[in-house]
Amino acid sequence: MDFGFTPEQEALRREVRDFIAEHLTAEIVEELEGLTEGFGVSRSVGRGPLVSRLFDEIAKRGWLGISYPKEYGGQDGDRITQYIVEEEFARVGIAVGLAGSGAPAILAAGTEEQKRAFIPKLISGEYSFALGFTEPQAGADLASLQCRAVRDGDDYVINGQKMYTSAAHTATHVYLMARTDTAVPKHQGISIFLVPMDTPGLTVRPLWTIQNEPRAPLGTTYGAYRTNETFFDDVRVPKTTLLGKENEGWGVGSMGLNLDRVGAARYLISVRRDEDIVNWVKTNRFDGYSPADDPAIRDKIAELWIEAQVCRLMTMRSMSIVEHGGHFTYEGAAEKIWAPEHGVRTSEAITQMLGPYGQLLNGSPYAVEKGIFAHNLMGAFQSGINHGSVQVMRDQVARRGLGLPSARRAGRPEAGR
Amino acid sequence: MKATCPVCGKAVDEAAARTKTGETAHGAQEVDPAKGTRQFHGGRWVYFDTLGCRTKFMARPDAYPSLGGA
Ligand SMILES: Cc1cc2nc3c(=O)[nH]c(=O)nc-3n(C[C@H](O)[C@H](O)[C@H](O)COP(=O)(O)OP(=O)(O)OC[C@H]3O[C@@H](n4cnc5c(N)ncnc54)[C@H](O)[C@@H]3O)c2cc1C
Repeated sequence: MDFGFTPEQEALRREVRDFIAEHLTAEIVEELEGLTEGFGVSRSVGRGPLVSRLFDEIAKRGWLGISYPKEYGGQDGDRITQYIVEEEFARVGIAVGLAGSGAPAILAAGTEEQKRAFIPKLISGEYSFALGFTEPQAGADLASLQCRAVRDGDDYVINGQKMYTSAAHTATHVYLMARTDTAVPKHQGISIFLVPMDTPGLTVRPLWTIQNEPRAPLGTTYGAYRTNETFFDDVRVPKTTLLGKENEGWGVGSMGLNLDRVGAARYLISVRRDEDIVNWVKTNRFDGYSPADDPAIRDKIAELWIEAQVCRLMTMRSMSIVEHGGHFTYEGAAEKIWAPEHGVRTSEAITQMLGPYGQLLNGSPYAVEKGIFAHNLMGAFQSGINHGSVQVMRDQVARRGLGLPSARRAGRPEAGR
Repeated sequence: MKATCPVCGKAVDEAAARTKTGETAHGAQEVDPAKGTRQFHGGRWVYFDTLGCRTKFMARPDAYPSLGGA
């Protein structure tokens, strides 16, 4: 067992850091903050000219899609190397990694045409997905979803509604979970479709989150200021948009979601503010008082650091499972509980350390670091819900990790994800 | 077309809830959230006067058996 990185991997990390130090200029940060749709800036979310150029430079170095096959626009590299690049960029608020519900699922379940059509463009950033899973009455109990796709000749006709379809307003496609058979048990009648956003009958309506105004600065934990409702009115798509086999979408969808629950971005949205507060504590003095000398602050910071290490080790374990071709279920769920809840504990503790200034949002002249800690306090709670709430994740750990039977409570559906 | 809100009984303008007000970055139509609301339930669209009505419905869909579906 080796918990370290190889000398080559360490060299790559330094190279990426040097690249970021050289290329991430104040002008680019300004452009990124103007553009951000709140998810960490991904190359696929409407880019300005400077950000586009930055991504061209990143691509030139072969740092996009490292672990994907060369024939689909990748580098035939390994997952850990890709993780290192993702981690360094995520640290400065830039997403170079790909969501699990997307390229990895297409690679695993897609047809050859789908792999060729989607993966290179997802890697280059030309395409991006919004995740169309949750519905008004199907969230924790996702398998109860009612959105229907009915086969009509060589097409499917989709009718239904999705909630919290984050990024639907910027994405090129929606990665949609819909019911294709109403006569079988609920997990069995579900399929996944890759639906272009400009298909007639597809409507997007904004849902504003607690991060809405003032907008969170670049790098804030989660920080989505807009998510959406999405409506499908007789949306007709060819059968070639079906990902995997009809009625086998639950397995395909779960595989992608499990990957969404882990990885560099997930880990870093939960721990980046720990590093920021350590730097802030070290570098600030007020009328002879140094927070770095305060025993209560030192204790708290040490405690948070230990928790952050647990986040990191869980992430490395997930990456190692992926690298060795394994699949994880409850391991991802455990990580999806620990890291967001660590983010909540951290942001609360930091707000206490900073006192009233820690509650000032972006735009206030007295806000600490553009109010990032205050925005984080709100955003941290979001990450405990999306991609599967922490309660549902606990249920998965209990069932799949510990072998306990499914919980069935009066008036509560069985947790589905 | 006018629909009737199953919760408060008021008339809801279906067309207004669907009227295009803009377009997303990649071509989906956008609508104004203030212009009525709807939900896909039991295989068909149900229109509500307000989000409050929709929330009441979502909490107890079985209290409106005329709408059918699960
Ligand atoms: C900011 C944000 C962005 C999101 N982005 C997306 C997206 O892009 N795409 C998408 O498809 N979805 C998205 N979601 C939706 C998210 O996945 C759901 O909110 C989540 O799955 C919970 O579903 P729900 O909101 O319907 O809550 P409910 O299912 O109504 O649950 C409400 C609460 O009850 C708890 N609960 C429910 N059942 C159980 C049980 N059996 N045992 C214990 N506790 C239980 C839940 O944990 C939760 O805390 C997003 C959500 C948020 C807040």
